[in-house]
Amino acid sequence: MSVAGFIRDILPLLWSGIISGCLYGVGALGLVMVFKSSRVVNFSHGNLACLGAFVVYGFSSGSLLSLSWGSAVALALGIACAVAVASYALIAPIVFKSDLASTIATLGVGLVLQGAVQLVFGADIVNLDLPVPRFGFSLGAVRISSYDLAVLAVTIAIVAGLFVIIERTKLGVAFRAVSTNPFACEVCGLNLRSVHLFSWLAGAVLGLVAALLIVPTTFLSSTTVPSFMLQAFTAAVVGGFSSLPGAAVGGILVGIAMNLFSFYVSPEFMNTFLLGVILLTLNFFPNGLLERAIGGRV
Amino acid sequence: MAVSELAHGTKAGVSARNGNVDAVRLSVLALVAALALLPLLAGGFLLYSLSLCFANALAVLSVSMLVRYGGEVSIGHSFFVALGAYAVAIVEHRLGLSIAVSLPLAVLLGAGSGFVFAFPSRRLSGIYLAVATMALALALPEILIGFEKFTGGFEGLYIAQDLIPGVSKALQRYYVALVVLVVVCLALAHFRKSAQGLALLMAQAQPRAAEAMGITRSWARVSIFTLSAALASLAGAMTGFASSTVSPNSFTFFSGVFLLVGSVVSLNRLSLPAALVGGAFITLVPTYLAKAGDWVPILYGVALVVVTLAANAGDLRRFLPRWRGR
Repeated sequence: MSVAGFIRDILPLLWSGIISGCLYGVGALGLVMVFKSSRVVNFSHGNLACLGAFVVYGFSSGSLLSLSWGSAVALALGIACAVAVASYALIAPIVFKSDLASTIATLGVGLVLQGAVQLVFGADIVNLDLPVPRFGFSLGAVRISSYDLAVLAVTIAIVAGLFVIIERTKLGVAFRAVSTNPFACEVCGLNLRSVHLFSWLAGAVLGLVAALLIVPTTFLSSTTVPSFMLQAFTAAVVGGFSSLPGAAVGGILVGIAMNLFSFYVSPEFMNTFLLGVILLTLNFFPNGLLERAIGGRV
Repeated sequence: MAVSELAHGTKAGVSARNGNVDAVRLSVLALVAALALLPLLAGGFLLYSLSLCFANALAVLSVSMLVRYGGEVSIGHSFFVALGAYAVAIVEHRLGLSIAVSLPLAVLLGAGSGFVFAFPSRRLSGIYLAVATMALALALPEILIGFEKFTGGFEGLYIAQDLIPGVSKALQRYYVALVVLVVVCLALAHFRKSAQGLALLMAQAQPRAAEAMGITRSWARVSIFTLSAALASLAGAMTGFASSTVSPNSFTFFSGVFLLVGSVVSLNRLSLPAALVGGAFITLVPTYLAKAGDWVPILYGVALVVVTLAANAGDLRRFLPRWRGR
């Protein structure tokens, strides 16, 4: 392989890796927020996002109703938030008792949501596009499309918004306190439940946004979004599972690594590759790749 | 004597040691006898689905064992089950040898891959292992389809060779699976009382005390996962033998989750009746509710949530006003 050819290949690969990595990061942020505050790994994350994406499809395509894309998204956000509240309410009694039992319960919630999607929308494969004007331009070897810019803009807006909430608001201070020392928070009279609820709601919104943005690159079916969440889980593990910047950076690293792997090695073994990434990260960087660089701070 | 020890696997057997332990022993004995005599009365499809129940009960036991002794959740045990099933199929396909040879091989392969898989997360909390098993469950289908040369791709492979010559296929499947299940339950009851079993329980309940006695947490984690994966692989070998075929259809992402459902529904117990309940739940429900296909995940999800909440009911009472202050 010539050097020029390598450079011609690598730049677009890196760029599209960064774009999809942003989405993995957004998905991972939801997982990490829930884990940091309530110590539960939310296995229903992907299924809830899938349900949300299908609601948008159902209400905007005419299969249930034909609303505008914006109002369908608003409706889907409402439903996703309601389901997030309901699933937190369900595990609320055991959330302080056992991480393990609550994690198993989220799997149950995920199964129910999965079944609901299959019941209502069937096993069909559908397309769901973003309503952004189509344009694109080339920058050197890299072709940049309107979709890429939309993803970047949404990701930056979300990360900035989350940063402002967590660093500057009372709720954010409470969130940081709860994720550092829940016992001390309870002693100080802080309501742990409301902080948990905040993180579960944020998780639902982040998951839905990630799903809506990832679906245009592939297609929407009852299995694609839940398995897309494996990328989010990997990103969270690479970032250390309890660090928000780690999740974002982990997402981008996973996105780039997956692109390189599928281009140079094989596109058919992506999940196996992610399994390898998870195992290697757990072995050599148990607290995430970024542990030394930024520590455990939010 | 040996069969009566099956009762020890249940909590009831332990707590009621002075009371009605004999009743428990006798009922388990009666259950085994009834299952052993059943082929005289029934046949065909019922025997076939019961053989699958036994094989799935073994797989459920492997997940329960991990929860009980390791305090860890796995949704990827379908990987080890598939490993065992494909080991039997591939050994027959390539070498023409029966399950008598491939069964020990399957167990060894399961133990080896379980060790390799559990080793990286040995120092971390069970949450990380659960996430890694999710990747394992999702990687399984693409591995089965990707290595088409060995696994037969989408179509899978057939398992045709008998273990005991001269016995009809249906009876053979049924009794081999039943005998393996009973032997495994006996072994688990024995393991509960053995030094190794107690060491693992201690490492989970009192990590510091265990460490003081030379049992490190990471050693306990890796060894229980290795044992559990070996058992799952054995279960897979029995699944392959009992159904005479292996294909990627039986090893999707959800089969791993369903094994956990079976384990939770049987309250993670390691006794024969509990294993049968778990195995029957995940085998018979999809068979008899085949028309209501999409309701199966919902039913399983509800079962998972309800049983998990009920099993932690001690904590739920706090939320009912009338229990306050007692």
